[in-house]
Amino acid sequence: MTGWLFAALTLMVVGLGPALWLGARGDAIARLVGLELGGATTVLVLLALSQAAGQAQLMIVPLVLVVLSFAGTLVFTRLLAARHR
Amino acid sequence: MNPVAATLLAVGVAVAVGSAVGALVARDLRVRLHFLTPVTSLAGPLVGAAVVVDAGLGSAAVQAVLVVVLLAVTGPVLTVATGRLLVAQDRR
Repeated sequence: MTGWLFAALTLMVVGLGPALWLGARGDAIARLVGLELGGATTVLVLLALSQAAGQAQLMIVPLVLVVLSFAGTLVFTRLLAARHR
Repeated sequence: MNPVAATLLAVGVAVAVGSAVGALVARDLRVRLHFLTPVTSLAGPLVGAAVVVDAGLGSAAVQAVLVVVLLAVTGPVLTVATGRLLVAQDRR
């Protein structure tokens, strides 16, 4: 197992695990914090996996996820803000 | 793997894992929100630097830098947006 794969596995277990737990418990804003943590951690996981595969074109996957995760989370904040008005 | 890249990667992963565990342990939502920042602003650039050192200058390095910059820029925006939600919830 290469260092990149070990890093990806560590991030998936110890990084994404807490994010999934936080994203499944509490009220809507508490779950949103879990989603944000999970999105950022997944980007790092995909960076490590892309580098482990050794194919430069795979780097497009974390790049797309950063943009989509940002837009998606902003939509959630807007919807929740409308609920709290 | 290059020893410099391995060190950068190990520190980046340690920061991300520490932040995730800290967010899990924190009871208050405001404190938990603060644990998101090291992942986007510290762990991301460290992992990106590890990619650049390991892959060398090329398309993979350029895309990794772009990912890291976008993560570092969008992370605080999302944290502020969530913080504003918490303030709105408190006022309600």
